[in-house]
Amino acid sequence: MDAFITAAGLVFDPHVLWVIVASAAFGMFVGAMPGLTATMATALLVPVTFFMDPVPALGAIVTATAMAIFAGDIPAALLRIPGTPASAAYADESYAMSKKGELDLNLGVNLVFSVFGGLVGVLLLILCAPLLAEAAINFSSFEYFWLALLGLTCAIFMTTGDPLKGLTSLIFGLLINCVGIDPTAGHPRFTFGSIELLQGISFIPAMIGMFALSELLRGAVTVDERNAVIAQKIGNIFNGVWAVAKKYWFNFLRGSALGVFIGALPGAGADIAAWISFAISKKFSKTPEKYGTGHIEGIVDSTSANNSALAAAWIPALVFGIPGDSITAIVIGVLYMKGMNPGPTVFLENPQFIYAVFIVFVLANLLMFPLGWAAIKSAKQILRVPRNMLLPIILLFCLVGAYAMTNSFYGVMIMLVFGLVGWLMEENGFPIAPAILGLVLGELLEQSFMTSMIKADGNALVFFERPIAGVLGAVTVLVWGLMLWRGFKGQKATLAPT
Amino acid sequence: MRANDAINGLILIVLAAVMIAMTSTFPAFPGQPYGPSLFPRVLGTLLIICGALLVWRGLAARRGGEGWVEMAGWTREPWRVVSFFLMLVSLLGYILVGETIGFIPVAVVILFVLFLWFGVRPLTAVITAVVGTFVIHWFFSTLLRVPLPRGVLDAIL
Repeated sequence: MDAFITAAGLVFDPHVLWVIVASAAFGMFVGAMPGLTATMATALLVPVTFFMDPVPALGAIVTATAMAIFAGDIPAALLRIPGTPASAAYADESYAMSKKGELDLNLGVNLVFSVFGGLVGVLLLILCAPLLAEAAINFSSFEYFWLALLGLTCAIFMTTGDPLKGLTSLIFGLLINCVGIDPTAGHPRFTFGSIELLQGISFIPAMIGMFALSELLRGAVTVDERNAVIAQKIGNIFNGVWAVAKKYWFNFLRGSALGVFIGALPGAGADIAAWISFAISKKFSKTPEKYGTGHIEGIVDSTSANNSALAAAWIPALVFGIPGDSITAIVIGVLYMKGMNPGPTVFLENPQFIYAVFIVFVLANLLMFPLGWAAIKSAKQILRVPRNMLLPIILLFCLVGAYAMTNSFYGVMIMLVFGLVGWLMEENGFPIAPAILGLVLGELLEQSFMTSMIKADGNALVFFERPIAGVLGAVTVLVWGLMLWRGFKGQKATLAPT
Repeated sequence: MRANDAINGLILIVLAAVMIAMTSTFPAFPGQPYGPSLFPRVLGTLLIICGALLVWRGLAARRGGEGWVEMAGWTREPWRVVSFFLMLVSLLGYILVGETIGFIPVAVVILFVLFLWFGVRPLTAVITAVVGTFVIHWFFSTLLRVPLPRGVLDAIL
């Protein structure tokens, strides 16, 4: 309880509240702009949060991402372009609703169910994380090895794209992580005599490059394209939302629960939660034929799911240091920078920070009501911001951000190289998120693998001897087996709903 | 730019092979077979397998009539190609001359050139470039104390 009061004191500080409101506005803007994603919002925020105390830093990221995931629904309805990938699953459906003249209802439902879906996610985060942390105290290198591997496996299994390219991207990320001093023997690897490479590839500039610069490069070649915003006027968005809630309350619960489950799985986040819950909603609907014609049912499911997944992704991130999605992958980097190494011990040593994250999450979801309403009302102005002025300014922001992470040009170089690599990867159908997960989890995976190998003296069976490690290992092997079997039978190896 | 998967796979195989070759110089510890070279070697081997699968798939696609390299539509429009490279050149320029000339002048030039190229009116471009640079400089240098290179400003101020 003391920790909770301390946490509340940390959050309800004028400076922190100011940071939260400012990042909320920032998140709304980035989410609502097509081409700027929630992950990009986080990547751009990190250099700024680097200079803050832990609570405002985490608060800024939590709020900005929660807002961005909702705000992505707005251009989906107005332009048929999802503002963030998490809204892609139901962009067509939303747009079809707008064309039928149900734009207000669509936006209202998106806002209300985003808020409540988010709150369900937070509730489960608050309930589950401390319990899991208690169990995780006894984990040894074997459990961590399997957890890391399971996380990476899920990242492949749950992608919507090509599994082979996802796997390749993941291994590529893990190999890049090998640059620098190796974690067990302290020998410099692949540094080519460079002092800067000794500390490894700086994670944040690499990520700014892959998530932000590559997006800017894609934007630069289409900078003159204008989007035709739907001409309809936005009226009272809350009209009729209550009727939808009464009719589809089960869809809301199912979507939120599914979102929590998928979010909490390491490696899969809000966008996949939205895809899967939309597919499930259609499968179990009484009127599946209405899907695709502007039907609200699937939207209730998936707009709740993506927001609840966002919060639930923090469960494995905080408890095990294993990211639930690409946003929490960045968060883990931030936690390390702040000296609060994620893992069960953080719940013992710094419980006030954990509680502060919980409070900020609740606050952010409540703040979404007024700010989301304001964003919807000003959506047409936001979408009119000229991209030819926005892109160069974001480029400068990336440049300074990457510079600030290393206080040298090394950061800018890393960003440039990874931006180009990320762009090439996307062009050739290699997803970026697995590479980033590999980069984040590589050290944990290698360290736990090497420690376990030394402990087990090379005997692979020892990896399964401890009960929890055994279960985790069996699940991991099972998922791999399932993927191989499905691939062998000529089916799609991944859980990719289309 | 979309290359045939055979090319992608080949690049990955070469990369993995070079990395594996480099691990041979890593020290081994007597009596313990698991040294700093183990993990990169395992990953390198996996990457070679993935690369080989990609090559196999790419060759099949090639037989199906796919080209070796397919350029996106925008590469045939010079204006867009320049736009693409201008973004990269801006960053490269900052890396090369940022230290000596300093953040403020380089950033103003980068913003101004990009604005003009993207079709912003000159007056708006100048004003936004200057204001944008100073706001970002104020935010990072004054507020967050990032030591952005001062360059020529050292001589003037």
